[in-house]
Amino acid sequence: MNEFQGCPGSRTQDFRATATEEEATTGKVKSQLTQWPIQMHLISPTAPYYQGADVLLTADCVGYALGGFHPEYLKGKAIGIACPKLDEGQEEYVEKIKSWLDDARINTLTVLIMQVPCCRGLLALAQEAAQKAGRKVPIKAIVVGLQGEILAEEWV
Amino acid sequence: MTQQLELPMQEYLNKNIKEIIGEFPPVADVLNGYDIGCVTCGLGTCLFKDIVGIHDLDPGEEAALLAGIARVIYPDRAVAIPKIERKSKPKSGEVSYSPPMKKLVDEHRLIKRWVAVIPRFIEGLDVTTEAGRRLIRQGIDFIQSYADKFHHAKEEAILFKCFDEDLDIIRTMCADHENARGRVREMLAALARQDRETIAGNLEAYRELLTEHVKKEDEILYRWMDRNLSMKQVGELFAKFHEKDIEFGDTPQKYQEFITRLENKFNTEEKRK
Ligand SMILES: [Fe+2]
Ligand SMILES: [Fe+2]
Repeated sequence: MNEFQGCPGSRTQDFRATATEEEATTGKVKSQLTQWPIQMHLISPTAPYYQGADVLLTADCVGYALGGFHPEYLKGKAIGIACPKLDEGQEEYVEKIKSWLDDARINTLTVLIMQVPCCRGLLALAQEAAQKAGRKVPIKAIVVGLQGEILAEEWV
Repeated sequence: MTQQLELPMQEYLNKNIKEIIGEFPPVADVLNGYDIGCVTCGLGTCLFKDIVGIHDLDPGEEAALLAGIARVIYPDRAVAIPKIERKSKPKSGEVSYSPPMKKLVDEHRLIKRWVAVIPRFIEGLDVTTEAGRRLIRQGIDFIQSYADKFHHAKEEAILFKCFDEDLDIIRTMCADHENARGRVREMLAALARQDRETIAGNLEAYRELLTEHVKKEDEILYRWMDRNLSMKQVGELFAKFHEKDIEFGDTPQKYQEFITRLENKFNTEEKRK
């Protein structure tokens, strides 16, 4: 299956068997998204929904891997999404995260990343921004496995 | 024919633990085996089911504990082991404290350093000279201003408000704080009449009280609270603690210096001996 060696972030893996074996929840899952836009290049860090909010900084892939993303993580929070591997102009992300802390005076920041090593870059951006910011808030990092399992949860 | 299992354990889960221990003393040994020290707890009115949840045993340990207690209560029949419902997330290895809890744990460090010098402080108690009385006043001031007004106030006025304050574990913690305040009142009265023995007795009792109290908070209460706090609450606590820190200005630093001075004084005295 793993004929593709090299970067673990882009290695082909097949979970068809395990992904479908668990029972599906019945009924519609309601979206918990309360804002637009969400991509880090498009958002304004001082938009009203960021003021004093609990904010999620989410790697793009997390939304697809984490089955309970809406009810368990997004609910009650504002969000910004980014890909630390492919996006350009990431200095701008650092400035925006810093502005969340200093200008929007957010309450907390949760950084959701995938287990692949390159995704750590998003956490590094958040840490760099937190260091530059004048205000401190609790920051939690959550590492999500390729099949949506929570591999680690830590305060940074 | 399959044996019918009874479910009478349910009834005990809603009883308070001291009552159960009173009725079945060997239950204490089973609890001790899991480091659950209800026997030595001052209040002991926690419900059995809350104790299992608060101590965060893993499911295997929890089942074994309940089975052990069931064997004590029903020595000659098999009973079904109930599952304890929990609000909190299951334990996932050694989790670090959230930033606001870490702040409180860090404050405990200074309190623990004070508690550690108390035995030597007692040895050196001198109520006959003004310098001796001043040192005693400074020690009492540390208890009043740092441990109580600065630290316990954060717990009582901010942290505990996030939880049901009628929970026995929280009532026990507040009772400990109140107990410490009583010790201070007695010491101040004793100091006024230059009664060395009463001061020494109260300091020793305070030392024992705070040693247990801080251990319970660090190892059990705060961890349980952290598992139950939402991200929103963590952020709010962090901000409120920060406001308190600003309000108190250089108070923590002043007391840090006081404890360091005490440690140095006793260490040099020790070396001289
Ligand atoms: Fe306390
Ligand atoms: Fe405390």
